[in-house]
Amino acid sequence: MKKSPDTQKLEQILRSSAFSAAGFMGTDTRSLAEIIDADMAEVARLGYTPQQIAQRMQQITDKAKSALGNWIKINDTHSAMITEVKGRIPCPWPHAGNYAKRVTTLQDTQTGRKVHFSDLNIHLIAEHNFFEGRGSAFRVEPKQIVEMLF
Amino acid sequence: MIVLTLLKAVLVISAIAAGLAAVLAVADVFLRDYGPCKITINNEKELTIKGGDSLLSVLTAEKIFIPSACGGRGTCGLCKLKVLEGAGSLLPTEEPYLDKKEIADNVRLSCQVKVRNDLKIQILEELFAIREYKARCAEIKDLTHDIKLFRFELTDPAEIKYTPGKYVQLLTPVYEKSSEEVYRAYSVASDPAQKNIIDLIIRLVPGGICTTYCFEYLKVGDEVKMNGPYGEFRLTDTDAEMVWIAGGSGMAPFVSILHEMKNSNSQRKTTYYFGANRVEELFLTEQMKQFEKDLPNFKFVPIVAQPGESENWNGETGLVTQAVERNIKNASDCEGYLCGSPGMIDAAIVVLKKLGLNENKIYYDKFA
Repeated sequence: MKKSPDTQKLEQILRSSAFSAAGFMGTDTRSLAEIIDADMAEVARLGYTPQQIAQRMQQITDKAKSALGNWIKINDTHSAMITEVKGRIPCPWPHAGNYAKRVTTLQDTQTGRKVHFSDLNIHLIAEHNFFEGRGSAFRVEPKQIVEMLF
Repeated sequence: MIVLTLLKAVLVISAIAAGLAAVLAVADVFLRDYGPCKITINNEKELTIKGGDSLLSVLTAEKIFIPSACGGRGTCGLCKLKVLEGAGSLLPTEEPYLDKKEIADNVRLSCQVKVRNDLKIQILEELFAIREYKARCAEIKDLTHDIKLFRFELTDPAEIKYTPGKYVQLLTPVYEKSSEEVYRAYSVASDPAQKNIIDLIIRLVPGGICTTYCFEYLKVGDEVKMNGPYGEFRLTDTDAEMVWIAGGSGMAPFVSILHEMKNSNSQRKTTYYFGANRVEELFLTEQMKQFEKDLPNFKFVPIVAQPGESENWNGETGLVTQAVERNIKNASDCEGYLCGSPGMIDAAIVVLKKLGLNENKIYYDKFA
């Protein structure tokens, strides 16, 4: 399908280093629409919505913030920890809003498995259904995150 | 016949499209050419440069280094300077980082201001002392599972002079995970008396461009570039008792300050609260014990949030802020010095104020 000029511009921004040195698309050659469609289908197959996933991610980040950089127990099988750096990062979509450069690490304490997500990831998933492209450092794999969150 | 006509039509349309594309390309080159622009700095120095780039990148190219921790993406708010003439309107990307007074004083984010015409700017004189340094990575030491100490020997220039508490910006070159050079800021952890050495204590940030480079790609012997020194975090000249609070790589500036206190035989009463998650995540504890021997009024208080049962930890437990609250009854005559994650610093400020410390006597460096 032909892309609108706005979509073309957005995709160009997501592939560039304008907002993040490594961009948001990683090595993924699919279009933005294809990436979002595939992830939405996967999320639906798993029985959740992006908003449910983002809401749970936010709850974990909020709880982890209180531990000031230490691990905190989320439930019997999971712990989380926050890593923060200075500054804020804006959403690459054309609207106001920027997000703390904060990364939440969620660990399954029984298997040692970990996933990382940023405050911007939470926003991108909740508002734009965007989990980032494959190969992006902050790509959130729907299957992995669902297994860890619920 | 019809096929020939169609073919001709396709060719004509293609030729028109190609012509329009060429016109657009040429127009782009000329429209983006702002010609030579003059930048007057502090009414003294004048630069003539080719317009079109951001003010930050133009000044950096002229070896005038303005602090910036985000590589000019408008996300750290550090690259502030006054643009007295020629900057145009304030951009929405700048507004979150500027208060009303700064806006009234023509303060701008230099990474967001494009040089399109002549500009008059004002910058702090001390920024002229900031230089670019080439250095060789001399040592990489594991401090914890996700914190390393990187020692760099300066090669060109071979010496640096700085006040303890300052930071440098380390350049990450283009590598597999980044298609462009980026700078990131790290507090200096070395003894300022060793003028050819810069120690940096760096914590791995998941997905971080610079920390990933340092942890996975940088090798002993590699050449790096950095610029500095920057920052306003330093000890005051008073004799007031000090409460230091840090966690993780926030240890860095305090190591440098302790070297300086030892070098100057400081007698200032100082208690340093340092938080870690597990006992195995405490580091430089032997060096801290040595500083306690060298400095008669210095005390190091390590706090472990969650000591494991097998770790035999008999010291302070819980959050670093909880340990401060347990140990200090009244901090009204103290000065507070904090370094760590923004969340830890915000929490520490709340606790110190609760203990009676005036907010204007709390100094901090919010670099994780």
